[in-house]
Amino acid sequence: MNAITPREKQDLNLLPDEEFRQHIRSWIEANYPAEIRNPEKRLHWDENKPWYMKLAEKGWLCPGWPREYGGLGLSPAKQIIWTEELERWGCARTNDHGIVMLGPLVIRYGTEEQKQRFLPKILSGEHVWCQGYSEPNSGSDLASLRTEAVDAGDHYVVNGQKIWTTLAGDANWIFLLVRTDKEAKKQEGISFLLVDMTSPGITVRPIINLEMHDEFSEVFFDNVKVPKENLVGQLNKGWDMAKALLSFERIYLGSPRQSAYALTRLRQLAERMGVAEEPVFAATYAKHRCDLEDLKSLYARYVAVLKAGRPLGADVSQLKIVQSELFQRITETALSIAGENGALFGPMEGNRNLNPGALYIQARPTTIYGGTSEIQRNIIAKNVLELG
Amino acid sequence: MSADPTGLAPFSEDRAESIGMIRDSAQGLLGADMARVRKLRFTEPGFDPALVREMGAAGWIGLMIEEAKGGTGLGHAEMAALAEELGRACAPEPLTSLQLSAALLAAAGHDLLPQMLSGEAIVLTAWQDRPNTLEPATGDGPRRFVPMAAGATHFLFVSGGNLHLLPASDVTLETEQRQDGGHFGTVRPKGALPAPIATGLGEAIAAALDRAALATAAELLGGMEASFAMTLDYLRTRKQFGTVIGKFQALQHKAADARVQLSLARAAVEEAAFELDEGTGGPAIVARAKARASDAAMAVQQAALQLHGGIGYTDEYDQGLHLRRAMVLVPSFGGAALHRARFMALEPETEDA
Repeated sequence: MNAITPREKQDLNLLPDEEFRQHIRSWIEANYPAEIRNPEKRLHWDENKPWYMKLAEKGWLCPGWPREYGGLGLSPAKQIIWTEELERWGCARTNDHGIVMLGPLVIRYGTEEQKQRFLPKILSGEHVWCQGYSEPNSGSDLASLRTEAVDAGDHYVVNGQKIWTTLAGDANWIFLLVRTDKEAKKQEGISFLLVDMTSPGITVRPIINLEMHDEFSEVFFDNVKVPKENLVGQLNKGWDMAKALLSFERIYLGSPRQSAYALTRLRQLAERMGVAEEPVFAATYAKHRCDLEDLKSLYARYVAVLKAGRPLGADVSQLKIVQSELFQRITETALSIAGENGALFGPMEGNRNLNPGALYIQARPTTIYGGTSEIQRNIIAKNVLELG
Repeated sequence: MSADPTGLAPFSEDRAESIGMIRDSAQGLLGADMARVRKLRFTEPGFDPALVREMGAAGWIGLMIEEAKGGTGLGHAEMAALAEELGRACAPEPLTSLQLSAALLAAAGHDLLPQMLSGEAIVLTAWQDRPNTLEPATGDGPRRFVPMAAGATHFLFVSGGNLHLLPASDVTLETEQRQDGGHFGTVRPKGALPAPIATGLGEAIAAALDRAALATAAELLGGMEASFAMTLDYLRTRKQFGTVIGKFQALQHKAADARVQLSLARAAVEEAAFELDEGTGGPAIVARAKARASDAAMAVQQAALQLHGGIGYTDEYDQGLHLRRAMVLVPSFGGAALHRARFMALEPETEDA
């Protein structure tokens, strides 16, 4: 293909790890907007955009993409340092579906024309993507999805509904899993389609979650015309392509950062409530802390696999179970010592570090999204333990 | 057997090879025959002195003793791998206690060491005067919970930072049977304690006890692996309601949870061994590993029993051997709560943690 010139001229892979870390750290510290450090909620595009565009201008928006596609081409080891530094500084997750999901998929399965058309617009921040996978009747059983794309000659006509679409209202493009063959086995009749959100027939309806936040939306498709050239990969092969990207999500969702953050908050709360030295609390706290450190040890093993450039196995599912369930237990302990403060919608005593009610609510969906804990256990049982 | 699918152990290739060799050697010597283990239960001394001599010849007793002193000169990672194999085989030989004694005799520069390393002398360390502790006793009162004490030729009597060496004939020994068919000894010197063979060894003793705690954690890991493997076999073959019971989701999830605990225990134990070898870790990470292995072992052994149903509750089925060994090893060199409290004391949190 015609190479896309990366905006970052330097090949950062050539820096020794520690130098690389200092290099990106000082840039992040100098450029990340202070007012959005450690946000409590997923930020919307209008809040995220200044940071996102700074990354885009610097050429650092897509650290994992190869340099010939305009990315930084970072090795897995360097990407891990990159993530560690973002987490260290409390950087918000951006509207990153184009960066982490769609881009790699187009690079791997897209045509030359699709690469030239879509990748530069992700790199420039012009296209902001969202992901249309789940449907009202296809949650854990995603492969049963029914939103369909019917062949109408030079285009497809899409009808159906997606749900839990993260930051759909911020996006101008959506990538979809759609049914293109109703007769085939459910996994074999699914295709991968790129859709302009400004197309006639698309309606976005925000969903207010228990945080009273409109992070998710429903997206309705009513006779939406989609050009045929927007199909990625082969017809009816969308399921395998989408699945290939899921192990990234599981290690991301298994990162210890949420639990570590919650434990710090719990410690501050315990001190404020005057229970930090009580034996029963101290024993519970010690258990949470050891659980967190053991999670870090387990996480480090998967990171080592990535660093060695090897594929993650199905058992990465256990990271997500351990992380999300620990996060929940920590927030449950916080609630148990907070008394009436735990019933507050906002922070107690005006201190945003002491917010046990919100933290508890924030931890609830982690065992549901990205594959429920039960689905992860099914995966371990079937694919790791081979219990059929 | 070492190939845990949970990613890579964080070892370089050389180390991985040396660890693999230790595992092979252990599996060769210990075998997988539970009949031997069963026959020794509820007998005294309850282990096979000839096998101890073979362990000596294989370099296991002095595994971490430097070569200049007649040891094998290997690291914590090899020690943990060996202990894991011992646990997997459910061997009753008190190797961890022998390694502890060897470390102390080496620190004391005592000339009984060569006989000990060869397995001719069975020297057991009598260091505790109460349950659930990692603090060496002081004074000359009885020392309790000495594993497999009836087979000792000598006792290394710890009093604070001092070591006293007593031939078995110079002590009164009382034994109590353990759940796993082994026994604990209570050791009382017959007369006044002889002059110490070394003094001021407080730090060396603490370090050796710590290493024993890590070995015990690894031994628990091996027992978990053995029980879990039996359980998976059972789930894949036992049929009820016209199908193998491993198809039932309630059982699958219980098995998945056991697997998660196993993976956490392995991650903690192997990371502890690795960091000790690299010089980047100390007692705190050992405390964390022993705490995890202890809790995980009880959870995995219980799940294994439950998933087996009634057969798991029979003495003739081998899983119970591992369950009852875990009951011995879990409190040994400090249980989970003790080690969590230690971890908290040893590794205070920074504000950013």
